[in-house]
Amino acid sequence: MKHSDSVTSVQFAIIIAGTILGVSILALPRFVIEEAGNAAPLASVVGMIISFIGLLGLLYLGKRFPNQTFIGYSKTILGKLFGNFIMVLFLLVALVLIGLETRQFAEVLVGGLLPDTPIHFSIFAMLFLCSVINFSNVSTFAYIHFFYFPLIIIPLLIVLLPSFKDIEYYHLLPITGHEISLTEFMSGAIVIMAAVSNYYILSMVIPYLKNPKKCVTPGIWGFLIGTFFVLFLVTISLAVFGEMKILEMLWSTLVLARMVEVPGEILARIDAIFIISWIFAVFTTLLSYYFIFVRGVAEIFSTKKYRLISFIALPIAFFIALFPRDIFDVYSYLRVFWTGSVMFYFVYVFFLMVIAKVRRKKGSVG
Amino acid sequence: MSPFFRKRTKSEQPKQTIPKSEIMIENEDKRITSNLKSNIEHFHKIFKNDMDFLIREFHVGGKSAALLCLTSLVEREEVERDIIQPLQEQTNLNMTIISSIPTILEKDILYHADVQKEKNLSTLIQSITLGKVIVLLEGVEEAILFDAIRQEKRAIDQPETERVVRGPKDGFIEQISTNVALLRYRLPVPEFRIEKTEVGTRTRTKVAVCFLEDIANDTLLKEVKTRIDAIQIDGVLDAGYIEQFIQDNPWSPFPQIQNTERPDKVVGNLLEGRVAILVEGSPFALIAPATFNQFYQTSEDYYDRWLITSAIRTIRILALIFSLTFSSFYVTVLSFHPELIPSGFVVAASSGRHGVPFPVFVEVLLMEIAMEILREATIRMPQQVGGALSIVGVLVVGQAAVQAGFVSPITVVIIALSTIGSFATPSYNAATSFRMLRFPLIILAGTFGLLGLAVGIVLILNHMIGLRSFGVPFMSPISPGDASSNKDSIIRAPLNWLKARPKEINPKNKKRVGGRVKDKAEHNFLSKDGGKPDET
Repeated sequence: MKHSDSVTSVQFAIIIAGTILGVSILALPRFVIEEAGNAAPLASVVGMIISFIGLLGLLYLGKRFPNQTFIGYSKTILGKLFGNFIMVLFLLVALVLIGLETRQFAEVLVGGLLPDTPIHFSIFAMLFLCSVINFSNVSTFAYIHFFYFPLIIIPLLIVLLPSFKDIEYYHLLPITGHEISLTEFMSGAIVIMAAVSNYYILSMVIPYLKNPKKCVTPGIWGFLIGTFFVLFLVTISLAVFGEMKILEMLWSTLVLARMVEVPGEILARIDAIFIISWIFAVFTTLLSYYFIFVRGVAEIFSTKKYRLISFIALPIAFFIALFPRDIFDVYSYLRVFWTGSVMFYFVYVFFLMVIAKVRRKKGSVG
Repeated sequence: MSPFFRKRTKSEQPKQTIPKSEIMIENEDKRITSNLKSNIEHFHKIFKNDMDFLIREFHVGGKSAALLCLTSLVEREEVERDIIQPLQEQTNLNMTIISSIPTILEKDILYHADVQKEKNLSTLIQSITLGKVIVLLEGVEEAILFDAIRQEKRAIDQPETERVVRGPKDGFIEQISTNVALLRYRLPVPEFRIEKTEVGTRTRTKVAVCFLEDIANDTLLKEVKTRIDAIQIDGVLDAGYIEQFIQDNPWSPFPQIQNTERPDKVVGNLLEGRVAILVEGSPFALIAPATFNQFYQTSEDYYDRWLITSAIRTIRILALIFSLTFSSFYVTVLSFHPELIPSGFVVAASSGRHGVPFPVFVEVLLMEIAMEILREATIRMPQQVGGALSIVGVLVVGQAAVQAGFVSPITVVIIALSTIGSFATPSYNAATSFRMLRFPLIILAGTFGLLGLAVGIVLILNHMIGLRSFGVPFMSPISPGDASSNKDSIIRAPLNWLKARPKEINPKNKKRVGGRVKDKAEHNFLSKDGGKPDET
């Protein structure tokens, strides 16, 4: 019995939310606060609103081309040659991001949590986990996201909710920050935009929705759920630690996790559990990148050898991950790619929308 | 694409068939002759001097006749009373029209219920081996076949592998006819279908596909039948053969088809829209498709009250998770992350390990292997020496090893917990696969610490999420989530909440429970005002 390979709207929303919550949840509050100071929550909101516009653009394109992926309609709108060129670029960026995010993950593990774990193993293990997934089945991808989502959310809430008792409201004030310039404020917003910009996965999943025309509501919900947790995290971290203290920490969320005490002394520290759930979060995010890459490459070459592609991608991503010298190097690369890709996505999506309007291209219905 | 990677199309794939029996091919188109002597000779040539091969010659109304059968397979008394006696008693039979003799015998003389006429030799040879009796007559080119099979049966008793405290105590036995009867009497409806096929060129094992035709999904049914028909093997000795041939992923450690000895469980699953497969000679029925959920549920869950059952199911899940991860978590915490140990335990954990010659990883791995050896020994061993084994197991492996400083007491506790956890899983084969998966997890945890453990768990989970049994996701209804089916997964909601059959199986007929009894009950005797409003 062949199961229909389709994704429900709830799964669709969860794919987006699960992709947004990734590697960065450990260090994100510090990044934003580094740039925007006390205005971090406000900058986050601004960043999210700008991302939201990009999301709407993507959803609009998805609705207009209900049975084509990002790759597919780029080709339709821009023509085969130019569309393919841009898409190859896009997929290369995705591959580089896989490598860099994996490296970031491995660095976090080695630096803060599991100093004895060899970095090569962490990188390889994470990439291996992604590459053995059966990408020929979009529903399996959706099931995986669906299954892990509660395992990511619940530990996050267990860490965040008890922190309410440690909140000092003066840490949050003034919400516009201490005399920060607009550039600083906006670079804080861009950090958030980069962190949540992986909602791009939706453009690869829309054609597999049960009803692709109804992608807008679940898409927005998924985005809102994901960004809500990001905002929540940034705000709580700032409110608990304050600007000065947080800049001294590398992984502020982990410090929050260490502050949680479990009654009954089953484990001395809850952070082991939190690390495992964070590994789940990293895995689902990387899986989404991997999904974009593997399905994208397969679509450009119009083949169905997903397994082959994912195993070829594994060593390449592995070497990309080993390329930066240290964590600071990783972040300097990531910053470039994040900012670049955010700009690219943004400009490109609206470019596509305009061209689609002008050339009157529309996806076939059915 | 290079031809190296090219996939063979279906027609290019070499067709493999098993050679047929030579005797059968030889007699494929042959018919029996009118000469009784040569007919008997022919059968004698095939069965030679087999111990149980019987040729009984006698006269029917003055004509010679012969009865052939394998005595080990037929009911002797039945043959004597219903076949030989009425035939021999006929002294004045009208034997003028030879061709009508078999019909006369069948219609007027024989008492036996199951009588057939047959001319083809290969069919007759086959029938003898299947426990039928044939009667040959001089001058008649047709044989009469009687089904007088007698099977050695054991009594129906409580299934050894699936005991219940509350619920029916009968279990399947080896004979398929008895098993079918056990199902039939629980499902006295005309929609209950039992379709028979044969698998195994030599054993010719009867395989019955059972389903409720107005509930079971047609695509599922067709898939099950196609897969069974495609099996090519010489012998099927147990339902396990069928299971391995028709499962979706032979590389998976998890069973994708459920087996059970309990008729009530089979009927419960048929009512949910699943398909059951009975195999002659096996006391286990197969149920497809199977989801992970079914492996920690028992039929008893539905007989007891829901609140208690739900609690017990939760405990079983916990036990399953324990059995899989407890020992590996212990290894990783003790060897890589001692900071996770609560301060109260540090002394206990480290003082117990004083003098233990191995690292925790090796210690746990050795103990787990010892535990598996003990378990395996307990199953294989004759029952008379069981006492000796438990003494060896408990005293030597437990007490003495600790006293000798070979293992730490805490390790023994951990191993015991994880082993007992796996025994709490109702399904033996699922529990075994989880126990075996413990070993790679311990190795991962012992070499790469917490990350290794997490990676191992994610690998197992991803495999389970991606696995499908006859197209049904293995982890459903947890992933992909379905609210109505989740009422009967980790918890078992009250029966009147389970209004729909499980959605993931896609049954034709969806509704199974009506309204609440409470709404219809007229009296509420226990309430203070006696239920009905008091008139006085």
